[in-house]
Amino acid sequence: MVRLSRYFLLIAGIVAFAVVLPELYWMAFAKPVKKPLVFYSCIENDFLIQRSDSGITRKDPRGKSYTREEYEQRLPLMYVRQLLMSNTMPDSIYGIEVDNHAITVNRSTFRVQPKELSIPDPGLYPLFESQSGRANLVMPDDFFRITWRMEFVDAKTNKTLEEKSQMFSAVLYKRGFKFPAKSISGLPTTRKSCDEGYLVIDAEDQLFHVKMAKGEPYVKKAELPSGTKFKHINCVDFRNTKFYAYLFSTDNHIYILTQDDYELIELPVGEMDPEKHEIRIFGDLFHYQVSVVGDDFIRTVVLDTDYKKVDEYNESWPGIMERREGKIFKTIFPGQISMTSPDSSLIRFYTEINKPFLWLVFSAVLMVAQLFIFKQREIALKNQVVDLCVIGVTGIFGFLAVNIFQNKFFD
Amino acid sequence: MWKSLVYKEWLKVKWFVILFTAAGLLTVGYIFLRVQHDFTFNEAKNYWHLILFQKFQFFSSLRFVPVAGALAVAVAQYFPETVNKRIKLTFHLPLNENKVLLMMMFFGTICLLACYSLVVVLFLALSMLFFPSEIIWTALVSITPWFLAGLAVYYLVALIVLEPVWKYRFFYFVVAVAFVPLYFEPAVAGGYAPAIPLLFVLAVVLNIAILFSGYRFRKGEM
Repeated sequence: MVRLSRYFLLIAGIVAFAVVLPELYWMAFAKPVKKPLVFYSCIENDFLIQRSDSGITRKDPRGKSYTREEYEQRLPLMYVRQLLMSNTMPDSIYGIEVDNHAITVNRSTFRVQPKELSIPDPGLYPLFESQSGRANLVMPDDFFRITWRMEFVDAKTNKTLEEKSQMFSAVLYKRGFKFPAKSISGLPTTRKSCDEGYLVIDAEDQLFHVKMAKGEPYVKKAELPSGTKFKHINCVDFRNTKFYAYLFSTDNHIYILTQDDYELIELPVGEMDPEKHEIRIFGDLFHYQVSVVGDDFIRTVVLDTDYKKVDEYNESWPGIMERREGKIFKTIFPGQISMTSPDSSLIRFYTEINKPFLWLVFSAVLMVAQLFIFKQREIALKNQVVDLCVIGVTGIFGFLAVNIFQNKFFD
Repeated sequence: MWKSLVYKEWLKVKWFVILFTAAGLLTVGYIFLRVQHDFTFNEAKNYWHLILFQKFQFFSSLRFVPVAGALAVAVAQYFPETVNKRIKLTFHLPLNENKVLLMMMFFGTICLLACYSLVVVLFLALSMLFFPSEIIWTALVSITPWFLAGLAVYYLVALIVLEPVWKYRFFYFVVAVAFVPLYFEPAVAGGYAPAIPLLFVLAVVLNIAILFSGYRFRKGEM
């Protein structure tokens, strides 16, 4: 039993050190990776890349440098205010007269990071009145859930609103909705231009648009190509009201759902996984620029306003583990346990084992050091084999734990 | 003899247990007094929205309460045993030494669990007045690691206090300082759900940690 208590303490010690020591290491030695900013110029019909590694540089893919002014003039839809101020805004682009209102209406910015998607589902959502006739949206008094039916709960009394729940559930049922909902996506805030309700995936992966208009349920089913399933839907509130949302399929393709006619359009950008990498989509009068950004790469695809591919840019750079501090980390530590992850809002034991197994060499050195410690203490080696194995497998973490919770009495 | 030993343990910790339970219940009372106040001034629907979509944690005052209680009970129970090495008297009783230590640990655990249960039951009962099941569930997931941390702290403090050598007390303290924050990572409500099973196992296996210090004590480690 005492022996067992020591092993449990060793486990706790190893886990604690595997969390804390790498954390301290990165705190001391990590350097920021400055990712390039990539934009598509509608003047040059080419990409412009801004870097800030050692002073800010702005270049095109062939290495031609631009001053800040030249750079901004080649991205007129990005630096509208600056160009207007300096009177350098072009009169026309692609033969179309530049109209400030059109630029503003067609500009859209969307950005989603893995951390924002891997988050506990709130389960309850406010259903706004989408046709109140008022300029501002009002937070409703009740919130809804979609389990075995669509249920509204009044916040003040914490009681179910039976009549409203039955009305919405009945309409959903009539439209072929299969309870419960797998996901409910919307913009649950009053800070938006108008309300378009929620896009809901039902138990059979069908997509429904649900909102409330003049107190009545509005439910519309969107037709999906067979086999298409979505893992994340991000609703948007863009001024040009072209589409309701960006939809990310389980096979990592990006779709949009157009407003009113519910046409599902796949963006020809290849595979992009929002659960692993950041996705940025900038829209303007002439293009959509879709980027996937990882720790060590960026891939940007430019589409025209008919969602046809125009151009693509790829760049990669050494990730943190390929740099000097990463290589030293991989030699010293067998791995790392982290309770948090940059890619998730969930807390769990994120465990990474370093490869290649260079750390085994360091573990062997620690095992030899431990042998010397045993020799100095005149402890019989045959009773310390388990401890040596622990050091071999867990390296520096095990070495510290074994020497703190010593096996002094078991020899 | 076991009864007398249990009574001795109770004498050591009773006021700490009673005061801690009262403090825990008062904290829960304070939390819901604030909830009631905010419902009145901020409207229930806005308060729900704050919790559901703006990461507001109405239960955050409870964060260090379980650990504080565990610390108090552990020190009250084990520190007197180290004064003039009184634990040696216990070891001289005609009882298995490990069993005595486990009984002490078991008694402390039961006391803590009883306090924790009262606090959690009151928390749940009052939550049900104000919130729907979704909010209550995520709140419960969020506070669970704090209570598990309480148990882990109780076992680690027992280990540290009974350790006879100051140098090792310091080392165990370092391990505890590295270990306990695993239960206190800043997280969104409900975000701890995937980690709870393993955190539970780690807290539970530490319950026999006291045997390690006890063993070193008995063997006269200086």
